[in-house]
Amino acid sequence: MIQLNNLSYTFEKGGGVSNIEMSMQDDEFAFLIGPTGSGKTTLLRLIYMDLLPQVGNVIIGEYDSDGIKQKQIAFMRRKVGMVFQDYHLLEDRNLFENIALPLHVIGCSKDEIVDRVKDSLDEVGLGGKESHYPGELSGGEQQRACVARAMIKEPDVILADEPTGNLDPVTSFELIKFFEEINREGTAILMASHNYNLIKGRGHRIIEIRNGSIRKS
Amino acid sequence: MDKLAFLLSEGVKNLWRHKLTSFSSIFSIFLTLIISGTLIIVSQNTSKVIEYLRDKYKIEVFFKNEITFEKVEEVVSNINKINGVRSTTVISKDDAEKIFKSQFGEDIMKIIGYNPLPISCVVNIVKDDTKTINIASIINKLKSFQEIDEINYQGRIISRIEGYYQLFVRLMTSILIIVFFISIFTISNTIRLTIYAKEKLIESLQLIGATRSFVKAPFIIEGILIGFIGSALSSLLLIGLLEFSYDLIYTYLSFKIEYDIKLLILTLCSLSIIISFIGSSRATARFLK
Repeated sequence: MIQLNNLSYTFEKGGGVSNIEMSMQDDEFAFLIGPTGSGKTTLLRLIYMDLLPQVGNVIIGEYDSDGIKQKQIAFMRRKVGMVFQDYHLLEDRNLFENIALPLHVIGCSKDEIVDRVKDSLDEVGLGGKESHYPGELSGGEQQRACVARAMIKEPDVILADEPTGNLDPVTSFELIKFFEEINREGTAILMASHNYNLIKGRGHRIIEIRNGSIRKS
Repeated sequence: MDKLAFLLSEGVKNLWRHKLTSFSSIFSIFLTLIISGTLIIVSQNTSKVIEYLRDKYKIEVFFKNEITFEKVEEVVSNINKINGVRSTTVISKDDAEKIFKSQFGEDIMKIIGYNPLPISCVVNIVKDDTKTINIASIINKLKSFQEIDEINYQGRIISRIEGYYQLFVRLMTSILIIVFFISIFTISNTIRLTIYAKEKLIESLQLIGATRSFVKAPFIIEGILIGFIGSALSSLLLIGLLEFSYDLIYTYLSFKIEYDIKLLILTLCSLSIIISFIGSSRATARFLK
């Protein structure tokens, strides 16, 4: 369902990715591993079309980056959940409002939003903390909230960019287990990390990226 | 419906979070609308004001003593043909005697034994022409009649008032244009500040699949709300002032101000929506990539 064909992108000041050939199946769990600056984030940004390839193309579901319109990118992103190292939660909104945001975008009714947010928070173990603001939550809780926000729109794939970067080893391990649960329910996961120790031995595909090129998949 | 409610509430929150900048935008749109409203009322009353002033035009023409009434009638029919003349009223020697008696309470025949008052004619000017009337040209034409001895008129003062009136309208229009653009600029700046403050929200919305119009909508709504508040305040002030000054103007000038409240409010609201929509669209187009 994700297909990257001869993908290249170079930033003006250097860096980027080149000649990336990669594909991922619908229910696959894959780790994208590589040191800082190797091109992991660039690759993820190309997949969710925050950057458009200079060479090659990205196919994600029914969407092809070749000649894609801005509006189609928005619709494509509704099928993709994103989790970031720095959470990207809105500090001036409580947990409920943060998690509900994607549902407002899709146009869900008020009642549906209330039900789905409650279920989603229960699922990530944050039930009862709806009125808490991000600053009142621990790093692990914020990351789980971020996962809940990504999951609430029932995406086909989750792209996680160093989601454990700010977490302690125990919480990081719990987050991976949580991703595995999500994956078992049929959502593809592509998680970028520079921490090989965290992901080794979990039986998932590992895609290694160095200096903007895939070394091993 | 819930989506619209969400976008509306976001717009209101934006407005509330930036009270000070929103206030400056509201004030600027308020000023624009006050000037526009004044112009609307002035234009609604333009014909009445001109009619009122021209009603005061009285060109009095005195004929030479030796001219017969029949000759006067002939001259007067020619005066009626002059461009800008609405009507004429001939005052015979007998009528003049009666007017003298009513004005001074004396019978001139008893005082000097004969009637020295000449036949005269009051020349009335057209009232409903929106263009400024050239009184000088009418006077020159009247002077060309040999039968006329003297001409009395207050045309210069009235022409001057008409000139000032036209100048006032032109000045107000120029100020309106300037303030119109200042309002657009101020609203645009307010929205720009909101956009900067909401950078994180915008980024999040874009990442979770919000379309460009969904991201823009709260900012446009914020702009329209600013316009709406500005138009409500200016409408209230203008209507209040009109109600207050209506009787005052009528008492001193016998002039009834004409205004259509519905039209006034509708025009101010439409104008405010146009200004705020242009202002906020400009900001979102420039700063929301």
